[in-house]
Amino acid sequence: MKGTDMHEPVKKGGGTTSATAVMSRRQFVGGVGAIGAGAVFGGVFVGGFMLPDKVLAIPASKGYLLVDTMKCSGCDSCMLACSTVHHGQANLSLSRIQVETDPFAAFPEGIVQQQCRQCPFPACVEACPTGANHVDTANGNVRTVEVSKCIGCERCIAACPFTPARVLWNNDEKHSQKCDLCTDTPHWSEDGGIGGKQACVEFCPVKAISFSEEIPAQSDASGYQANLRKDSPVWAKLGFPVSDSGAMSPAPPAPAVAATATPAPGK
Amino acid sequence: MSRGGYTGKVLRVDLTAGKVSSLDTSTYEQWGGGHGMGSAIFYDLCTDKTVDGFDPKNVITIMASPLSGTAAPAVAGRTEVQAIGVQGYPVGWFTRSGFGGRFSGMLKYAGWDGIVVEGKAANPVWIDVRNGDVQIRDAKGVWGLDTQETQEEIWRRVRGTGDGDWVSLGESRDSGRTTQRPAVVTMGRVGENLSRTAALIHDAGNGAGQGGFGAVFGSKNLKAISVIGTGGVVIADPIALMDARTWVSAYTLSGNIDHYKPASPPKGMPLAAGPGSATLVYGPKDQASAPQGCLGCIKSCRARWQSGKSNGSSCIDIAYYMGWDKKAHVAVTQTTLDAGDMAQRAGINVYELNAAIIWLVTLNKMGIVGRGKQIESALPYETVGSTEFVKALIDSIQDRTDVGADLADGVARCAEKWGRYEQDTKTGICPLQYWGYSQHYDARTEVEWGYGSMLGERDVNEHDFNNLCYWLPSLAAMAGTEPAISAKEMAAIMGEKLLPYADPTMIDYSDEGIYSESMVKLVAWHRHYGRFWKQSILYCDWAYADLFNVYGPDGRGCSPEAEPKFLNAVTGGTMTFEQGMEIGRRIWNLDRAIWYLQGRTREMEVLAAYSYETPAVPGSQANSAIPTYVPALENGEWIYKNVTGRSLDRAKVEAWKTKFYAFEGWDTATGAPTRKTLESLDLGKVADDLETASKLGK
Repeated sequence: MKGTDMHEPVKKGGGTTSATAVMSRRQFVGGVGAIGAGAVFGGVFVGGFMLPDKVLAIPASKGYLLVDTMKCSGCDSCMLACSTVHHGQANLSLSRIQVETDPFAAFPEGIVQQQCRQCPFPACVEACPTGANHVDTANGNVRTVEVSKCIGCERCIAACPFTPARVLWNNDEKHSQKCDLCTDTPHWSEDGGIGGKQACVEFCPVKAISFSEEIPAQSDASGYQANLRKDSPVWAKLGFPVSDSGAMSPAPPAPAVAATATPAPGK
Repeated sequence: MSRGGYTGKVLRVDLTAGKVSSLDTSTYEQWGGGHGMGSAIFYDLCTDKTVDGFDPKNVITIMASPLSGTAAPAVAGRTEVQAIGVQGYPVGWFTRSGFGGRFSGMLKYAGWDGIVVEGKAANPVWIDVRNGDVQIRDAKGVWGLDTQETQEEIWRRVRGTGDGDWVSLGESRDSGRTTQRPAVVTMGRVGENLSRTAALIHDAGNGAGQGGFGAVFGSKNLKAISVIGTGGVVIADPIALMDARTWVSAYTLSGNIDHYKPASPPKGMPLAAGPGSATLVYGPKDQASAPQGCLGCIKSCRARWQSGKSNGSSCIDIAYYMGWDKKAHVAVTQTTLDAGDMAQRAGINVYELNAAIIWLVTLNKMGIVGRGKQIESALPYETVGSTEFVKALIDSIQDRTDVGADLADGVARCAEKWGRYEQDTKTGICPLQYWGYSQHYDARTEVEWGYGSMLGERDVNEHDFNNLCYWLPSLAAMAGTEPAISAKEMAAIMGEKLLPYADPTMIDYSDEGIYSESMVKLVAWHRHYGRFWKQSILYCDWAYADLFNVYGPDGRGCSPEAEPKFLNAVTGGTMTFEQGMEIGRRIWNLDRAIWYLQGRTREMEVLAAYSYETPAVPGSQANSAIPTYVPALENGEWIYKNVTGRSLDRAKVEAWKTKFYAFEGWDTATGAPTRKTLESLDLGKVADDLETASKLGK
């Protein structure tokens, strides 16, 4: 592993909202690992931090994907679009967003959308021995893999605290890869990346994925899940629930239509 | 040779020998994929086409297309199944059935363009495909399960407990990893019992329902096929493909969310119809749900429910019992979803249930079927509309008890056994309108449906004109509103888009029009388009053909531009729409030749007697109570005409058949394809085979 341990003790449970908190690398990795990457002490968000002797700022990503599993239809268009625009082939195993469906489960269970969280404290970046998995400061601080530097050790994949790991192995090209918010999409005519478009967002037919510049709350998964139904002009009209819980609103009164309409004369 | 889309290999499993091998896709690429490829492979491998569907010599093909598994919209998840069927009456014709979901995509990711299954295993088996590793496995612990239990058990066996993590399909770093469950297609217990009502089910609500392919699986001792793949489908021009998908989204609800307008009709088939549109119209209004869609779909027309019942099911899967539920309970209740779910888990063709319930309930009312009646039955007919009744009926078919002992052989053969087939299909109380298949849409009013079914081998189940020429005007008439498009304008659109014939009078459903040369062209167009673009390239019937679209310029939909656009982006080819239509005509003729080798005659090509003898009254043969309005050209003017009450004239239908045969280049005396026609389609060998069998048209 690169670097040496720092020795300043961490201030725990201080509820600080300071932009700087001092901690050791081991404490950072251990503390983060216990409750999930990107989470911080007491759920308080810290945007960046300084280590003694060395400034090791990890600037926050300027873009995040939010999903709504109560909207998702499990069509996998996002996965097909992701793999196609990045690799020129439709391949679920190369998709940097994974959707998993249990077709028999009762709504609202049954579908999970597993997007990369562009963690403020990315364990995958931390774990990479060559700097291949890095923060791309030229492209909105997106966490991404510089393929030419990847030696295939897969430590980034192992380090991702989420299931499934958001970093994945490309067995065609022999390197790891991850969501880059479409920074590098040679097979798409649109400009991707932060400031551009994301294929999964664009091609989702029900708009169950959105792009946000705001850093989501990090304490649990809910920060990355949004209710993308309530502001849709059509969702309730189509007969779907728009509440946060997925419960139906009370039915509107039935429209006043005559029980037997007189058929119009043929036109 | 295509630069993308195809994997290059078709999996071939010989269950008798227990052998796994492959065919080169290149031999069959000329047929497109799906049904065309499946028919051609069947033609080559099933050397005796007169065998019964239950015979081990029957060959079943389960085919993907070059678009399967890709981001091409409303096409990537469909699969086509072909074999000699066991449902057709009086003959189990070589037939087809399609199902949605994700099976064909997963097949492509595993490296296969399709699967061919021959022979019969000595003991019950299931086929386990993991990329290129294919095993025929003992079905102990799987045989006897319902379709849901089967799939859950196979998922456990293939990928473990399903914690959603990456799973490797092999030992090495580069073996390929996936987070996905295997895609499984399976029969239920009715297939094990060789019931002619047996369907093939995939995931929760996808089914190859018609044809009895579940029983064909059963006759081969084959319970299920599971596929998991970690590869990809190469796209020849991915930029063009994704640009095309952006282009077509302008024709869909998702591309028009901020200026949404209801599709016309608002539910179901149109490309412009929104998420859940295939299901929400049939489910309980107060139950929470979300849309559910097949692989890559741009519509996601099914739903997944809070009750977890009938997830992914669409249309008739749920609608078969909805009318009865509504009648008994005023509104649609959970019973409708339970009924759909029970049918899916049992693996029963819901159209057989549809016809059975209409017929049996009528016979019960007539005092012919019931306790102590001529046909003894303890089913609770007085509770029809309840979960209790439909469960009892499904159980009776699964267990071959009560009326199920005879119904398990299909409604048609049950009626024959009871000595009631002729009289009940003459009055129409047994609504089997074409080849012993349940009436779906009425041949008397929507003739292209009836004629296409009659000249084929099953209920066509192709909604291209049903959508626009029946539902659009009929719903408007019922609601007392203006139709979204006038009959005249609709005819103009047809005149532009129905290439190569491009004749607006093709949709003249007047009393003269239905026997005319124009209707010949419509039916021919429909057969050719269906055989290639829908059943071979696998464009979904619930999005294509997109002829009229509320979002399109002047209502013009994205057909016929869309179909070749996506195909060529994926394959790198330059096929035109018309070239595809010509391949469709070739496939149609190949199928026709197979039926003639099976013993087809002109005389057999008739509709059920009630089509000629009784008027079409809403609610009699179907659950719909909507009168039928269709476009008609009368006195030089286009109108939507109410044809409720119409019946067909037998002699005029026969005369129309002669016109159709002539148009297609078939012998007008027998309906058989001629050598001239077959050779013009590069099917000279097929002409030789017909000649050897003394079936060649003159």
